[in-house]
Amino acid sequence: MAGKAARSLAKVLVVLFFMFPIFWILVMSFQTNGEILSLPPKLVFTPTLLNYASLLVGHLKTSVGMLTITFMRNVMNSFILSAGSVALALVLGVPAAYAFARFKFRFSEDIAFTLLSLKFAPALLVVLPVALEFQQIGLDNTYVGLIWIYQLITLPLILWIVRSYFEDVSPDIEYAYRVDGHSWLGGFVKIAIPLAGPGIAAAGLLAFIFAWNDFIFALVLASGPKQPVTVGALAFVTASGIQYGQIAAAVVLSIIPTFAIALYAQRWLVEGLSLGAVKG
Amino acid sequence: MSALDVTSLSVGFGDRQVLRGVSFDVGAGETVVLFGPSGVGKTVMLRAIAGLEPRARGRIVLNGRDVSAAPPEARRIGMAFQNFALYPHMTAFENVASPLNAQGIAAPAMGERVRALARLLKIDHVLEHLPRQLSNGQKQRTALARALVGEPDLVLFDDPLRNVDAKLRYEMRIELPRLLARRATPSLYVTQDFREAMAIGERVAVLVEGGIAQLASGAEVYERPATLAVARLFGDPPMNLVPAQAEARGGGVLVRAAGLGFGFATEMPDDPIFGIRPEGLVLHRDSGPGRTAAKILAVTPASEQYVVLARTEGGIELLLSRETPPPSEGTEVWIGAARGSGALFDRTSGLCMSNAPVMEEAVA
Amino acid sequence: MSLALAAVSKLYGAGSAHAVQAVRDLDLEIGEGEIIALHGSSGCGKTTTLRMVAGFESVTKGEIRLRGRRIDRLAPARRRVAMAFEGYALYPPLTIAENIGFALRGKKSAAKAEVREIAELLEIGPILDRRPSGLSGGQQQRASLARALIRDAELHLLDEPMGQLEPQLRAVLRGRVKARIRERNYTAVLVTHDQGEANAMADRIAVMEAGRLEQFGTPDELHERPANLFVATFFGEPPMNTLPAVASEDGYDVLDEDAAVVMRVPAAERAAPKGTRVVLGLRPRRLELGGTMQQGTVVSNQWLGNQAHVALEVAGRMLIAVRPARVAARVGETIGLGFDPAHLHVFDAASGAALAHRREA
Repeated sequence: MAGKAARSLAKVLVVLFFMFPIFWILVMSFQTNGEILSLPPKLVFTPTLLNYASLLVGHLKTSVGMLTITFMRNVMNSFILSAGSVALALVLGVPAAYAFARFKFRFSEDIAFTLLSLKFAPALLVVLPVALEFQQIGLDNTYVGLIWIYQLITLPLILWIVRSYFEDVSPDIEYAYRVDGHSWLGGFVKIAIPLAGPGIAAAGLLAFIFAWNDFIFALVLASGPKQPVTVGALAFVTASGIQYGQIAAAVVLSIIPTFAIALYAQRWLVEGLSLGAVKG
Repeated sequence: MSALDVTSLSVGFGDRQVLRGVSFDVGAGETVVLFGPSGVGKTVMLRAIAGLEPRARGRIVLNGRDVSAAPPEARRIGMAFQNFALYPHMTAFENVASPLNAQGIAAPAMGERVRALARLLKIDHVLEHLPRQLSNGQKQRTALARALVGEPDLVLFDDPLRNVDAKLRYEMRIELPRLLARRATPSLYVTQDFREAMAIGERVAVLVEGGIAQLASGAEVYERPATLAVARLFGDPPMNLVPAQAEARGGGVLVRAAGLGFGFATEMPDDPIFGIRPEGLVLHRDSGPGRTAAKILAVTPASEQYVVLARTEGGIELLLSRETPPPSEGTEVWIGAARGSGALFDRTSGLCMSNAPVMEEAVA
Repeated sequence: MSLALAAVSKLYGAGSAHAVQAVRDLDLEIGEGEIIALHGSSGCGKTTTLRMVAGFESVTKGEIRLRGRRIDRLAPARRRVAMAFEGYALYPPLTIAENIGFALRGKKSAAKAEVREIAELLEIGPILDRRPSGLSGGQQQRASLARALIRDAELHLLDEPMGQLEPQLRAVLRGRVKARIRERNYTAVLVTHDQGEANAMADRIAVMEAGRLEQFGTPDELHERPANLFVATFFGEPPMNTLPAVASEDGYDVLDEDAAVVMRVPAAERAAPKGTRVVLGLRPRRLELGGTMQQGTVVSNQWLGNQAHVALEVAGRMLIAVRPARVAARVGETIGLGFDPAHLHVFDAASGAALAHRREA
């Protein structure tokens, strides 16, 4: 009995610990600057929708005048960049993952590991040299340039997750398809991809979230109209003061897509591949 | 023209040579069984013939066409896998129709052929189900239908009855040969069960250590195993193999083993081993010429017969089998050999020297 | 009395739409030094039962007692039970010798000799210094078995202990393992789907189907006096021949698919009142060829080295006859068949329960 109560208490504490910052930001997004900065923190207040309104409408009245906000533009940029880089990573990564899973060629493990380790390298190391290079070849501040560099984030993820899903599909199923008279490409498209489908979808969604959350690359390589939401929030740090309310509202709005995706992806990941076509 | 002609098939994995220059053929309409212990290379051989083994070397000729370098889809082969390998995201109908799809057969004709075969294999009522909704027996018959529907030049069966329950396995042991005979389909069938081998195949190829040790009818392999390895593998309960003493006698060899004596008209083996099948030994209540004393250790009922484990006075363990219930554990009995039973092997060469004892003699 | 299961049940997913009754009301009693087999097709509940005894599954209802001590609420380690797992479950970083001797860690010198002894028994002496990865399934399985057999526990549980071995090795090892269990007077419960193994190893076999215990008896009892139709057709290869019939004035009338009478079988003692629907059972060995009771068409005639298996089609049904010598019958030929009514087993068609068994003629 005591064990159960202690476990419940522990669960509540853990949830509180993780959810508190999000909760606080949510609260902040409904408060004015004044209320936010007051000490002790105000838990009882009249919520205001002004912060959200100003983001959606595009300007905010501050103590020093009208401030133009391009937040919605930033949201669109995030979608373009994330979706674009995931699409490219899928086109490149899914066939590569298949090759790694099915064809054990020389150095395949080493190459695979190298590609994964790209994920571990801090973006900070490469971002300045890349910025200089991009300026030289004219890719600075372009969608193409950013989508390309985002492959450092999305491609290793796709490769590793999708490879293990391909490995889980019994090769006998593809062999049977070939013996039936279909080509190996037919086997890849009609058998391997559908069966690894849940994994590919999950990897894609996960990669979308990671690309969406990128800050460093966007900060250095994009400016103004091309900036995604992560960098866009900096616009609220103005000469006349930090607009905490807007920042909070911006954060909430930018969490919503990734939060929804994370909930959705969870179902796919858990679904598994026990499709019963192999004896078991 | 034979349906399948394999010449010098070799497959090596790294430093391990699994198949060494194997050659054999399958005649038109014939079923040849590949028999051998697990890990010996039966599945590897099947895959090599199907074109799924990139490391295979040698010549494979199907119905007169050299397919040694051809990809699997060009070989016109059907294959039934041990773990079924059905397409999980397609219905049973689509699974069976897959080869016809690849051949570009139009929908109406395709539907007819699939349904006709499904009726024959009694899966016509589950054609719209997905594999995960089928029982093991239904999955296996779906896999069989898929292998046969395209009317291939050769059908490969990779131990298809292994993962199926005993009752169904027995049923299929009777149904499958009938089905294959009716369609006159040349087949290569892999199994580890010697009874299945004898039931299903016209000829049996016993695979031992990378090569074919014997290729003959099942009855021939059983009654006249060519080597010690074959004798040991082909039979359950296994053949009794007892180290023996041999001496030359009158142009032949007199062999003593387990207290019994046999004469063989052959040369002296280097390291004699005497072999006799469990059904070749007989239990007697009393002593007599050609009998040795023993005690029954265990009695096991199996497959419509009784298997007896007995130990002779000399400490040799022997397996006997018979139709009628034997005396119980602990009984003292006398064991003799049935007329004409017994074989002589040479452990050094592994070969069988003789399968026909010419005389029996009592040993004091 | 060593192990007792009383009304043990296991229900998975209670309350949900997918609830599965894996084991139903199981009563089982095993004596000291007895070897019993839990036998049935996959999904029958035998492995679940073993895991409940070991402690890896909770017991939904009922009690399990080992030597009088109630163990169904104890953690596995406290039950004093040794187990060989179907998945081997060897410790990857340890050598085979260390794996096998794991339980004997304390007693250094004696342990080494014992490990060697059991390894030799199971023919894995040469691989004692290797690690599990890289060994074949059969070798790993024997190592797992050795690890269980080396322990002096109150109960030994073996889950499909020899399934990965090839037939020849299996025959030899069965004998050795059984001898060792007897020597040390261990009490053992083994789970197997292989009837040959159950027959060879067990003193008594518990046949299970769909979570229920169908019959618990010696191999001979199961073969000669099966308690119901399921056990009769499950136990024995080839399966028992079955003929639907109805009890008549002086015996049984065998019916075909359209319920027409195809054969009258005289029986001195009728096992059921007139009009009862029954199923007659006849072991393949007892079906005689060349008799006059009925005619059948030969569907197949297979010579299997020491037995002939002849399949006949009789009134729309397939019957099997087994003979110890070759049978001269061609496929398609019509031959006569018959049997001694005393060799029949009679089962109630509705409940499947046995009504009468073969009498020693």
